Amino acid sequence: MKTFTWLMKREFWEHKGAFFWTPVAIGSIMLLLTTVTLLAAVFGLSGGVQINGVEVGSLAEVVSASQKAEFATRLLFIYTGLLIPFAIALGFCAFFFCSGALYDERKDRSVLFWKSLPLSDSATVLSKVAMAIGVAPAIALAVATITAILTGLLTTLAAAIAGVNIFAEVLGNPATYLAPLQIAALLPIYALWALPTIGWLLMVSAWARNKPFLWAVGVPVMVGVLAGWASSAFRFELNLAWVWKNIIGRLLLSVLPGSWLGSRTHVLPGEAGNGSMDTLGAMVSQSWQQLAGANIWIGTALGAAMIYAAIRLRGWRDEG
Amino acid sequence: MSAIISATHLTKRYGKQLAVDNASFEISAGRIVGLIGPNGSGKTTALKAILGLTPFEGDLKVLGFDPRTHRDELMQQVCFIADVAILPRWLRVAEAVDFVAGVHPKFDRAKALRYLANTKLKPSMKVKEMSKGMVVQLHLALVMAIDAKLLVLDEPTLGLDILYRKQFYQHLLEDYFDQNKTIVVTTHQVEEIEHILTDLMFIREGKIVLAATMDEVGVRFVEVMVATENADIARALKPIDERQVFGKSVMLFDGVPRENLDALGETRTPGIADIFVATMKGTYA
Repeated sequence: MKTFTWLMKREFWEHKGAFFWTPVAIGSIMLLLTTVTLLAAVFGLSGGVQINGVEVGSLAEVVSASQKAEFATRLLFIYTGLLIPFAIALGFCAFFFCSGALYDERKDRSVLFWKSLPLSDSATVLSKVAMAIGVAPAIALAVATITAILTGLLTTLAAAIAGVNIFAEVLGNPATYLAPLQIAALLPIYALWALPTIGWLLMVSAWARNKPFLWAVGVPVMVGVLAGWASSAFRFELNLAWVWKNIIGRLLLSVLPGSWLGSRTHVLPGEAGNGSMDTLGAMVSQSWQQLAGANIWIGTALGAAMIYAAIRLRGWRDEG
Repeated sequence: MSAIISATHLTKRYGKQLAVDNASFEISAGRIVGLIGPNGSGKTTALKAILGLTPFEGDLKVLGFDPRTHRDELMQQVCFIADVAILPRWLRVAEAVDFVAGVHPKFDRAKALRYLANTKLKPSMKVKEMSKGMVVQLHLALVMAIDAKLLVLDEPTLGLDILYRKQFYQHLLEDYFDQNKTIVVTTHQVEEIEHILTDLMFIREGKIVLAATMDEVGVRFVEVMVATENADIARALKPIDERQVFGKSVMLFDGVPRENLDALGETRTPGIADIFVATMKGTYA
């Protein structure tokens, strides 16, 4: 266990840029934009600023208590929407991390250093998996939450300066405190859902003699294209959309957080125009409903199998 | 003495190419063995087999373990420097020490820090900011602080200047080696390790062509500066090598008693380099 902790630290040292500084940079930019926008609004430099449909600045005295409450609720949508850039960045970083994880160490021959220490292949590979599906999302979520708290404070402060004091409403709203926990509840789903992509990328990066990224992306895409060609050339019934979505998509895109919320979802954050307060809750429960379906479990099993293959490949690969 | 490494019919193929060809050898505890061979002779492959880095045929036991199946146990007691500059480029000195201290039960942090204090390395320095010699210093500091039974060095000083090379072997001998440790080292700079070796192994085209202690080597090989009138008599004793120096023939004999040679001219014990060149004649032909 001690060894595993050190392996995790080692991954963090190497990939601090991708998994720590990237979310921090995103958070900083968002805070900066928020500040600039709010300053503009408060000092009346622009015509007024809307936050999810409620205008700040020009409505000082005329807001009712219910409007204040709604405003407080809507602040939460900011939080949900604010997660999107973090989620996209996390997906990209995890993808490139995994596709290089077991290849780069062979390319620069540092694998020989790691193998000169009492570190088993399984502990090494599993530490990379844990980094991608556990630590990295947790860091991203933590930074996103801090950003959200600061954004929320700034917004509330700006509203107060504009004459609408909603501190009581925001702090008195249980949903304020529930929101980070609801998002955190998505982490286990993400871990399971991302596993086939993580496993596939790690397996290819342990196997490829060169250009692991090209192999990882090229093979599934070529298979999809060839399947399309074959089904049209020989006129056999093949549900191509299904193949792309459930095989190729799962192999390549499942590292994107929220990708399990398929097209049937109407409550994607950011488009929460109908003001339903339960958007977040709906997203969480819909996510957990995935566990009732076969898709996530088949993916998890295949992901685990490919991770096992990556472990064995790392042991067998002979560095010339 | 117990055998630290024992290989029987060790064979490794890359496609059709035989890298190690049915090699059998034994290495005992407390020895410093030089594994010497030309480029592509199978040195590195043999070391990889010993370290469990490559599959192979035949039988090989390292500290009683089969490296193919018990690599994890083996690496508790074996350490290696596989080549220069294989430390990951992003690693900092302090991180390297912390990490090895964290994962290796036999690592002595104080010893590593003591060694590092005598270098120009600073804790915050990254490997990519170091010169080649500094990378090796860091690697050596880490490895020397590990109380391993077997240390394998594959071209550890390749590309280093003579100051670093001398320092490397000096530290190894003075601060690391003892009766309970075994070192296997390959290098092309034969002259520099000659005085520290206790055993010598020559490998050629995957075969072990010489395996002897340095004492045996001193008895077996004799170089004679043969006077011109004795040249034909000397050639009848089948020297393994002959070269001309100042009009005289210098001949190298393998297994001819020194008494028989004293009469032919001035005798001396040849260096490993001379024996190596004579033994490997025609390798690249």
